[in-house]
Amino acid sequence: MNLDDELRAALQREPAPVDFAAKVTAKTRTSKARVVPFRRRPAALALAAALALAALVPSAVYQYRQQRRAIQARDQLIAALSITKVQLQHVRERIQQNTRHKI
Amino acid sequence: MDFAQVVADNQSMVFSLAVRFLRDREGAEELAQDVFLQLYEKLSRIESPSHATGWLRRAICHRCIDEARKRRLRPRVGLDAVPEPLAESRHPDLLLNERLRRMVAELPESARMVVLLRYQEDLDPTDIAGLLSMPISTVKSHLHRSLAVMRGRLERQEICR
Repeated sequence: MNLDDELRAALQREPAPVDFAAKVTAKTRTSKARVVPFRRRPAALALAAALALAALVPSAVYQYRQQRRAIQARDQLIAALSITKVQLQHVRERIQQNTRHKI
Repeated sequence: MDFAQVVADNQSMVFSLAVRFLRDREGAEELAQDVFLQLYEKLSRIESPSHATGWLRRAICHRCIDEARKRRLRPRVGLDAVPEPLAESRHPDLLLNERLRRMVAELPESARMVVLLRYQEDLDPTDIAGLLSMPISTVKSHLHRSLAVMRGRLERQEICR
């Protein structure tokens, strides 16, 4: 017995069930109507990510600008206060000098 | 690409591989339909009828192996897996064919697919190695060992008769 030949004979292709093609066609029709879950649609995911980014970026830029303005205002206030301090010291020194002269 | 024509040309190949591998007609039909459906969804990327055939062959092989592994975890007995009565057949060749198919079905998954691709699809070891992404030496070893096992079992059965 030639096992190779026997196997070829035993393992010949067999026809698919008669209604096989019809069932596949029917399934393709339902698959068209099938709703693909959102997480399995890369284009939709990319669009959602882009929209989220588009909403986040201006907000982040606005926050950054506000923070910069607040820092500038603080620095200006500190500078103004230090100038005022110096001026007040001068005034105080003059008052003290005048007081000493009068005495 | 005409999908109906692709189904008509390949349904026998896809169904036969699945049914011989799983020995469960219902499960095999379901799996084969699923593979065609997968192809339908990728049809725009299929360039030629031979590309479709190659794609389907590869897809059904891998799906069958996956399905068999799943079934090992939760066994499902198909009608074809139920042993036949031990009546003497009047057609010895048919009986031998059935015995051989049963022996093939009892081989380990990878070896079973290699034997099916070799003897049902008439592919040579190089093509099988490419299809199943395994070294050619492994394909040859699966073939050699599977044939030795089947030959041994047939000889023992002949002696016991």
